[in-house]
Amino acid sequence: MLGALPAADAALPAIVDGALARHALNGVYYGFILFMIASGLTIIFGVLGVLNLAHGELYALGAFSVFSVVGFLTGLIAEPTNTVTAVVFGIVVLAGSLAAAAVLLPVGAAIEAVFVRPIDDRDEVYQLLLTYGLLLVLVDVMKFVWGPAPLEAGVFRELNAIPTTELVGISYPSYNVIVILVGLAVFGWLVWFFDRTKTGRIVRATAINREMSTAIGVSTDRTFTLVFAMGAFFAGFGGAMVSIGPSTAYLEMGLDPLVLSFVVIVIGGLGSLKGALVGALLVGVTSRVVTPYYPQLELAAPFILMVLVLLVRPEGLYGTWGEIE
Amino acid sequence: MSRFLVERDGRTHLRLMEGMELSRNEALLAVVGIGFLLAVPDIARVTPLSFAVFHQGILFGIAALGLNLLLRHTELVSFGHAAFFGAGAYTAAVLASHYDVSSGLVLLAASIAVATLLALLVGYFVAGYLDIYFALLTLAFNQVLFAFVIQSQFFNYSDGLRVRPDGLNPPALFGLDLGTTAYEIVLYYFTILLLVVMLLGTWKLVNSPFGRALDAIGQDRTRARFVGIPVEKYVWIAFTLSGIYGGLAGGLFGMVQLHVRPEPVLYAFVSGEILFMAILGGVNTLAGPIVGGIVLVYLLNIARFYVEYYHALTGIVLLAVVFFLPQGILGSLPMIGSGLERRRDDPGLFLEDVKLVLGSLRKGVTRAITTVRIIIFGVN
Repeated sequence: MLGALPAADAALPAIVDGALARHALNGVYYGFILFMIASGLTIIFGVLGVLNLAHGELYALGAFSVFSVVGFLTGLIAEPTNTVTAVVFGIVVLAGSLAAAAVLLPVGAAIEAVFVRPIDDRDEVYQLLLTYGLLLVLVDVMKFVWGPAPLEAGVFRELNAIPTTELVGISYPSYNVIVILVGLAVFGWLVWFFDRTKTGRIVRATAINREMSTAIGVSTDRTFTLVFAMGAFFAGFGGAMVSIGPSTAYLEMGLDPLVLSFVVIVIGGLGSLKGALVGALLVGVTSRVVTPYYPQLELAAPFILMVLVLLVRPEGLYGTWGEIE
Repeated sequence: MSRFLVERDGRTHLRLMEGMELSRNEALLAVVGIGFLLAVPDIARVTPLSFAVFHQGILFGIAALGLNLLLRHTELVSFGHAAFFGAGAYTAAVLASHYDVSSGLVLLAASIAVATLLALLVGYFVAGYLDIYFALLTLAFNQVLFAFVIQSQFFNYSDGLRVRPDGLNPPALFGLDLGTTAYEIVLYYFTILLLVVMLLGTWKLVNSPFGRALDAIGQDRTRARFVGIPVEKYVWIAFTLSGIYGGLAGGLFGMVQLHVRPEPVLYAFVSGEILFMAILGGVNTLAGPIVGGIVLVYLLNIARFYVEYYHALTGIVLLAVVFFLPQGILGSLPMIGSGLERRRDDPGLFLEDVKLVLGSLRKGVTRAITTVRIIIFGVN
């Protein structure tokens, strides 16, 4: 799991007085983190047809690099003292997270070009073996660069100093609100990209019919590299968002989100962005709402949800098989 | 020609049973392999080879052998075979620690029975699904079982259960109460015996009409249905059969380790590892999963004592197998053998190999530069 969420330590006034609503909000927060990982996974699967087992490690890599980048950036500015400086601080942290996630662009592109492309025409089980090998290598790369101990970016308290929910008279950690907003922005950007830009349409065309798009002059190789780099970027951004929060970056952090992302994309339907969002929110809210009341269901809840969804709708909620919607 | 030697295409083949004929090289490999397996306890005594880990590797290999039945013939990727492995291991543990069952054979039989029932149940739900949906449904059942076990007092949470019926001694084997060392050795040879039986049985199975039907299902389900194969039922049966392998291996694993915890036997990544063992050893070979099991378990368990970055070492080995041994370790042996033979006849081929490698490297670098240029500066 992504580590314990901050129990809302402040007393919960007015609107969010029900514990259930707080758990649901936590679930939404958690769902958006899952969405950032799962969206990359689903795009890569939809376009390349590769189930990227190393995706969880890309997420972890984002979490680790945010430690270095944000740590460096926040060292340059002063600690927040009032609202304005707190907002400036928050913007710097967000910019740092973006920069940290940008580290994943060349990493993703290189993984695609060097490792995934040469075995594109081989049986898919070899792609599984390959990405699993990459997972293991990435774990040790992070161990080599950042050491085996968990790291804490240490900006969580300052982020919570930014006033957000207080403005509407409720109390909920500002950090969670920021993550939810960022997640919404990521979803909006992805929809805009695939719906409105030429490159996005080229990617969709490649996903729908590879031969045909080659015939009309699309370089599928470059599309694949782009898609893989994008997927890696959003996984890294998700990791960055987690790492600037209360949880630490640690070496095994990629494993559980990876498995949960599978659940998310299967619930939502493979290759569907809308599905990834709905699936992620479903999984996030279910696990966060169920856990406090039935702790024994914590691990099993997402999987039970997935089995139920698949028994009713075998192709997932928005299954499109390779088309991004 | 005698009963065991037959002539095929001018070469002598060893005939083991009806239809099972090994070429000279295959027979040699099989003899060397079995000889090596039999000699492992003695080799371990004089070399740093870890006997216990090797034994574990064989057991995971048996589970991978079962998984390969699905993977190779019905082309279904299962991410949930740790469920059966874990069910087998936990059955042995529960019977030994809660019910004081002291006979090893009873433990093993119960392990197989429970895993079979579980596989019947899971197989009923997943038999109609394909590709990644099949993979993730099996994963889901695996994770639900893991979550159930790790939170259950009956299974002693994440601490697990001991497989020591009286709390101290290992189970009895064949009615013998053996000391620890003798127990390990006897259990090892029992494993080898079972392994050989399983391999021969698997061979019989995949070459039976049922095995052919599974091949047909793997190639094209619709056609298989049209020629009258009850597809879902056959997949269900195959799934159950492959679960039996896992149950047997898991039961033995419990008896070898004498302690069963959820993470090493039930966690989703163990399922992945069982899958990777089959691919690593060679999907299209009979004994490949066993080789893959031994290699992967050995790498994951032992490498950490020799190198600090043992994950990377394992990963690099896997990458090397993917790129340089395209048919897995065992599956690529014939290719390597014939390649070496040709180069021995004509040493000039080596020069061409070097040229080929350098050429593809240069091409790769040029392409990468072009791609980066286009990504940064656009198509012009």
